[in-house]
Amino acid sequence: MSEQFSRRDFLKLAGVGAATTAILTGCGPASRYVKREPYMQMPEYNYNGQSTYYATTCRECPAGCGLVVRTMQGRAIKTEGNANHPLNLGKTCARGQATLHGLYNPDRVTDPIKRSRGDASSTNVDWDSATQTVADALKNYKPEEIAFLMGTAPDHLFDFVSDLAAATGINAPVRFGALSMFEARATLSKAAENLFGKAGLPFFDIGGAQVVFSFGSNFLETWLSPVSYTRGFVGLREAKTKQRGYLVQFESRMSQTGTKADEWIPLKPGTEAMVALAIGRLAFESRGDALPRAFVDVDPLDVASKSGVKLETLERLAAMFAASAGSLAIPGGPSLGRSNGLAVAEAVLALNAIPDNFGKPGGVYFSVMAPNETESHRPASTQEMQEFVQKMADGKFKVLFVHGVNPVFELPKAINFKGALSGVEQVISFATFPDETALEADFVFPDHHGLESWGYQRVATGSAQPVLSGSQPVVSPFYNTRATIDVLLAAAQLAGGTFASALPFKDEVEFLQGKLTPLMSEAGGFFSAADINTFSAYFQQYGGWWKLDGAFGTPDSADVLNRNLNGAESEFSEGEFFFVPFVSPILAEAGANKPWLQELPDPTTTVMWNTWVEINPETAHELGLENEDLVKIVSEFGEIEAAVYKYPPIRPDTIAMPFGQGHTAYGRYAENRGVNPTDLLGQQVNEAGDLAFAGMKVKIEKTGKKLPIPRLESIMGVYGEALGEEH
Amino acid sequence: MATVTDLKITELKLSEAEGGKWGMVIDQDICTGCQACVAACAMENNVSFVGDVDSGYGRSMHWIRIERFWEGEYPEVKMTPNQPMMCQQCGSATCEPVCPAFATVHSQAEQLNLQVYNRCVGTRYCANNCPYQVRSFNWRDYERPEPLPNQLNPDVTVRTRGVMEKCTFCIQRIHKAQDNAKAEGREVVDGEFTTACAQACPASAITFGRVDDSESLVSQLIKHGHGVKHLEELGTLPNVTYFKGG
Repeated sequence: MSEQFSRRDFLKLAGVGAATTAILTGCGPASRYVKREPYMQMPEYNYNGQSTYYATTCRECPAGCGLVVRTMQGRAIKTEGNANHPLNLGKTCARGQATLHGLYNPDRVTDPIKRSRGDASSTNVDWDSATQTVADALKNYKPEEIAFLMGTAPDHLFDFVSDLAAATGINAPVRFGALSMFEARATLSKAAENLFGKAGLPFFDIGGAQVVFSFGSNFLETWLSPVSYTRGFVGLREAKTKQRGYLVQFESRMSQTGTKADEWIPLKPGTEAMVALAIGRLAFESRGDALPRAFVDVDPLDVASKSGVKLETLERLAAMFAASAGSLAIPGGPSLGRSNGLAVAEAVLALNAIPDNFGKPGGVYFSVMAPNETESHRPASTQEMQEFVQKMADGKFKVLFVHGVNPVFELPKAINFKGALSGVEQVISFATFPDETALEADFVFPDHHGLESWGYQRVATGSAQPVLSGSQPVVSPFYNTRATIDVLLAAAQLAGGTFASALPFKDEVEFLQGKLTPLMSEAGGFFSAADINTFSAYFQQYGGWWKLDGAFGTPDSADVLNRNLNGAESEFSEGEFFFVPFVSPILAEAGANKPWLQELPDPTTTVMWNTWVEINPETAHELGLENEDLVKIVSEFGEIEAAVYKYPPIRPDTIAMPFGQGHTAYGRYAENRGVNPTDLLGQQVNEAGDLAFAGMKVKIEKTGKKLPIPRLESIMGVYGEALGEEH
Repeated sequence: MATVTDLKITELKLSEAEGGKWGMVIDQDICTGCQACVAACAMENNVSFVGDVDSGYGRSMHWIRIERFWEGEYPEVKMTPNQPMMCQQCGSATCEPVCPAFATVHSQAEQLNLQVYNRCVGTRYCANNCPYQVRSFNWRDYERPEPLPNQLNPDVTVRTRGVMEKCTFCIQRIHKAQDNAKAEGREVVDGEFTTACAQACPASAITFGRVDDSESLVSQLIKHGHGVKHLEELGTLPNVTYFKGG
């Protein structure tokens, strides 16, 4: 084995189903970059008619699923799950499949540009002056005036900027994403801290459970790690050695996850905490055990009248929960996005003390730390974002770098991120797509698409094995884009001083190798190597590095029930209807610019290409509303118009709306399509600092207009119905 | 009028086709309706997206769709188990005899319903006659702005206006696996390849394989489960088995 070995020899990754490529050792990477060459002079790793497969990591959400991308003559053709990857075991969700429509999206940012804020037109600049602009921004301002706002992926860039911040004194990077906002990650972490004495992201072993009570958790949709949790759900259903598991979903509006439940309990919004506590009390009573402190204060009869769940139902469910050895309770979704969200999370987590499933199969665990992680990390809560925005507005940040996040679109309009930008002298975006935040930036220096990029993502939850999921370019950059780390490295050299000496790396790959080096000496990995070039070649070939064995952490449950838990009802603003915004299971936070995701029917309503508002058919009848009637939804913070969808499984006092559409920028497939429910939301947060996104009431006003919305279920005459005429 | 000899031929054909060759098993109890199969199919098979207006007219081109219905009134509402519906690759397909151009024909070798795009003249008789409503018609030349065509799968023909299309059980994958096996002088092994929908499915609700091999996973599942075939009473001999579950 020598340097003669080419990239093809050791990077040819066996496609799923094909014969496994022999593992090669002792050779360095002959080439670091994939090239797209003309037909006549193709590199030797491309054969005519033969595909080349590259392992990488999906960046459509922060979960970190492994992908194997099929390429042909330098073009990415198809993504598949990486069958060896411990998180997704060869599977993908719809967003992972459609990531190619992001790569080859006709509306990417093709060149570095400068613009006047808010102006869609722009002037191209070259990369030299772009680098100089970044260097000037670093050099001409005090370190404490420089801030980075980053998305929840990729982790290697976050690590890079964190290292840069530590060495130079600029502000530590802040991360945010719409998914983390709707997941209420800070609430989950805080609840774990309060109950178990340690902050962290809990993991729920649905696959090993027998009876699962989910309080609004949308684990089959976008929640935390949907592919992994879907596998858990299959485990619940396909019980090989036991009975088929039973899923009960407590939520006012049936989610996609709720449609798979055996029982749907439409409790009144805001009563989740007391219902959980009542079930706890009744479960203890059904077993004839003495009541622990946590459940003493709750009165089941009172809960039944307040929540709308009959006492018999509560008793029956409590008995079921108490009787099964494999019971599991999961908090999540809109039930945490309330003024009492933290109390809900605590009450529901405490239910797990009834079967005492902490740290046991089918129970509650702590997620494992990824290989190069030292402490549990979570994205910023909405409260922390409010503080960030306040600093922007106050002019404390003079330079703002934005990467991988679109806060102008994602944060509630009431927080006014866009307005606060006027307090920042220079805004530099690294956006791949022309999103709303990039539109409000002075410069956009586009990063590569995820499939053109190096990097890694830590698997935050969903796998017992610690996993560092690796990314490599599967195609050469399609446009005149540049890796953000390379831009920052070059700019740091130009800026000189502490910046020049802070990060002594030649390029992004060298930085990555520096981060991988400590793993070479770590025990338990499924591969190792004596030198870093070989190690990183394996890292590319397999799509990451993970340990062969691993175990989830066990929460310390000693004190869980020995405390007072708050069962008070959540507070809501004035209005007629409880408002439940939910993340579109198909579009999630950034899918709206991918045409095939737009054309996938929503799993519950089958609506495509638009936003709808779900109203109970009875309520709609009382209000004189029909499908596709355009209504105005008014909150104290804003108003939006959307078409009515008569949705059978929703409480008559509740309306619901998907998040994902309503872009004013972000390319031709996303723009001017549907509305954004965050325009209605206020600033109220729960005790853990997460947005109380489902904590308000709204009014509905008729507009007298119709808006036809395409949906799969009624393939005859959507327009005929709406317009009253044949087409 | 059918003669005695004709009837015999029909019966013979039926019995030959009855077993089928390739088949699918779909477990509706674990299908979450997440649409990963639909996206995977579209990416693998160069299925066009048609945009919001044409989607509203019911012209979207999904080769596989997930059906669901609501049962009961609030609060006792339940969704019926998600039902992924695609071409059932009938052994005695109702689409085939009505095609005047022989564009919809039965493959003797693979026991699949073929759609020969360059024969299709767009009468749409086949779609009218399909009881499963799984055929989609190219009402337009749907636009794929540059550089989206870079993603197109070179193994699959891109269809133009006026042509009918439908699920092929990823016949390009079947052929590739057969070619590979032949080159290595062996038979195709069960599980060696699968369709795009089955490969993507996060719940592994879709299983694909040889139904004429009693050892294959699909055959085992069919043997041990309580599966149903849709509209079997029409005599179409569908090759997709559904487990209702629940």
